[in-house]
Amino acid sequence: MAKTVDSYRFLDGVTRRVMKHWATLGAPREIPWSPLAKPLSQCTVAIVSSAAVALKTDRPFDQEIEQRDPWFSDPSYRVLPRATTTGEVRLYHLHINTSFAQQDLNCVMPLELLRQLEAQGEIAHSAPSHYSYMGYTVRPEALLRHTVPGIVGRLRQEQADAVALVPV
Amino acid sequence: MMPELTKSVGVPRIAAIEHPFGLTLGLPQDAAHQLAVLRATLRALEEISQPGTVVHLPFEWEPKEKLNTYPPEAPPIARFLRRHPWYIPKFLNRTPPEISGRAAP
Repeated sequence: MAKTVDSYRFLDGVTRRVMKHWATLGAPREIPWSPLAKPLSQCTVAIVSSAAVALKTDRPFDQEIEQRDPWFSDPSYRVLPRATTTGEVRLYHLHINTSFAQQDLNCVMPLELLRQLEAQGEIAHSAPSHYSYMGYTVRPEALLRHTVPGIVGRLRQEQADAVALVPV
Repeated sequence: MMPELTKSVGVPRIAAIEHPFGLTLGLPQDAAHQLAVLRATLRALEEISQPGTVVHLPFEWEPKEKLNTYPPEAPPIARFLRRHPWYIPKFLNRTPPEISGRAAP
């Protein structure tokens, strides 16, 4: 029998009720759509992670923003070069156990695996740059006005053909 | 991970996975499983032809041991709502308080 993913399996009772209600709030709109222009084996693929991953050498995500205003979070994004490894990053998301991804970044942002797929010819390239932002916010305006256009601009500049947005 | 919520906001293509939060691709060092999930996701990208389609990936989550997938400390919003439960309806409806009038966390 084909599997149907249970969206709420890993949520506690209260959070489950909230998320089920949030699923009824989505404003219906025309879904943005770009057909995949070529086979995956010819595509440059990028990953965008909502896990708030940053290089240890980069500016940390500011967790104090969310501590001060629990409806908001740091709306900035970070760039992760294609060869980034687990030991080079730190995760700043406050709503998950980040220890798994700190042991193995592929748990949430499979950059190493993408390079493997490139080496095996299943994709043409892992993009030169990948991106991460803080996925939790109830005030998304700054994310939508600044962060998303910033990421999209860079993706276009580097000619990414496809982007996988990986949630946590 | 929550395809019902994701679909509700009008995402063009969704590959749904039934994995705990923080373990989207799978357990640490389980490269075979992680790669299988990534491959299936990219296959969905190629195959989906209708906007808003959800492909339910076939992977079962049956870890050998119990995992703690919660953060070490409750998130700020959880602590805030415990102290200010009258804001719960605002959270439920995703209508945060006005910035000038918000309660101090």
